[in-house]
Amino acid sequence: MSATPAGRPDRVAVLCGVGGHLPRHRVGNDELAARLDTDDAWIRTRTGIRFRHLAAPHEATSDLAVAAGRRALANSGTARADAVVVATTTPDRSCPATAPLVAARLGLSGAAAFDIGAVCTGFVYALAAGAGLITSGVADRVLVIGADVYSRIVDPADRQNAVVFGDGAGAVVLRAGHADEPGALGSFDLGSDGDHEDMITVAAGGSRLPADPSRTSHTERHFAMRGKEVYRHALIRMTASARTVLDRSGLTVDDVDRFVPHQANLRILRTVATDLGLPADRCATHVERAGNTGAASIPLALTDDHANRLLRPGHQVLLTAFGGGLTWGSCLLTWPELPPAAAPAHHEQESSP
Amino acid sequence: MTATYEQLVSILTTLHDAPADHFRPEATYADLDIDSLTMVEISIHIERHLGVTVEDSELVPDLTLGATAELIDARLAA
Repeated sequence: MSATPAGRPDRVAVLCGVGGHLPRHRVGNDELAARLDTDDAWIRTRTGIRFRHLAAPHEATSDLAVAAGRRALANSGTARADAVVVATTTPDRSCPATAPLVAARLGLSGAAAFDIGAVCTGFVYALAAGAGLITSGVADRVLVIGADVYSRIVDPADRQNAVVFGDGAGAVVLRAGHADEPGALGSFDLGSDGDHEDMITVAAGGSRLPADPSRTSHTERHFAMRGKEVYRHALIRMTASARTVLDRSGLTVDDVDRFVPHQANLRILRTVATDLGLPADRCATHVERAGNTGAASIPLALTDDHANRLLRPGHQVLLTAFGGGLTWGSCLLTWPELPPAAAPAHHEQESSP
Repeated sequence: MTATYEQLVSILTTLHDAPADHFRPEATYADLDIDSLTMVEISIHIERHLGVTVEDSELVPDLTLGATAELIDARLAA
């Protein structure tokens, strides 16, 4: 999929709000080391992660999505949106989608609302879908949310994955605008390789293998990832996708002011940035404080970078993601002038969750 | 030391921080304290720069650098 400058309609999607939410409960490496056969040094060397936030037992994906969505709408200056797209791998229920409930709880009943499933690439896919709703004239304002509660599908005793994944939600608001405005979304690159669909899975719980406890194993009911192979494919696909989207826009890595990749682990981010020829200080590293939050990681990193003024108006921003499917995707945008945003881990005295 | 070995060491020095005199033909990846993710990066770089595919299953911690160069040369000759 591409959106070349020559084929771009006059009406494009413009980012006009950003917000993120991390659950209150923050878990450090020492706490995990106490129950898993690992230690802080091992976790930090392998993943770069120092903390991750975990949802409370009563919190579901929609709760985090609503909190992030509310913040993004507030940041955009108006609570209105006529479409809500939620990217998630951990919907509240297998049926229905999570987005209609999120829309209703945000006072957006009546809005078009649906989920996108592209695992850790979900947000970039959802951003493309949201942009498509705008360019096709279906919607004028779209709330795009990435939200995941991986702690519900990762086995807490799984030493490989329990240290890496965290819960959270991030969101952006898109509005109709022009290609030369700050905030305008530029070219996209999206792709997949289903030949490797078994590399990142929750084996049970779908139509192939229903999650009947008497017919499925503990392992089949939890998230599984073939780490080394995933690492290889992630490095190759993310680098190639980032280059593709830059080529489509006639840009080079020197034009990129901020690189905000899916926050899988610090090793992948650093290696992809090095392979692209990007200085390390241009790469968002929210993963250190939030772990891998799946579809939420890119909008959370955008929110955190915006809150810390690392993203400045006019910055050329490159988003690149990779996830189960396998799927990958990239998008270029210019950063708009936005009101200050709270850091995702900030919790004000809220009257409602 | 062969040209392939020199190229392998050049790849290793960009990916792994260790004193130059630690990179010896008889040194294993375990000796150099190179972890499994760096091994994946080494394999990708070998493919990119030398045009040879070395599987993750072949690049094991107790393989020596000399043996890796021989493996690459055998692939190049095939």
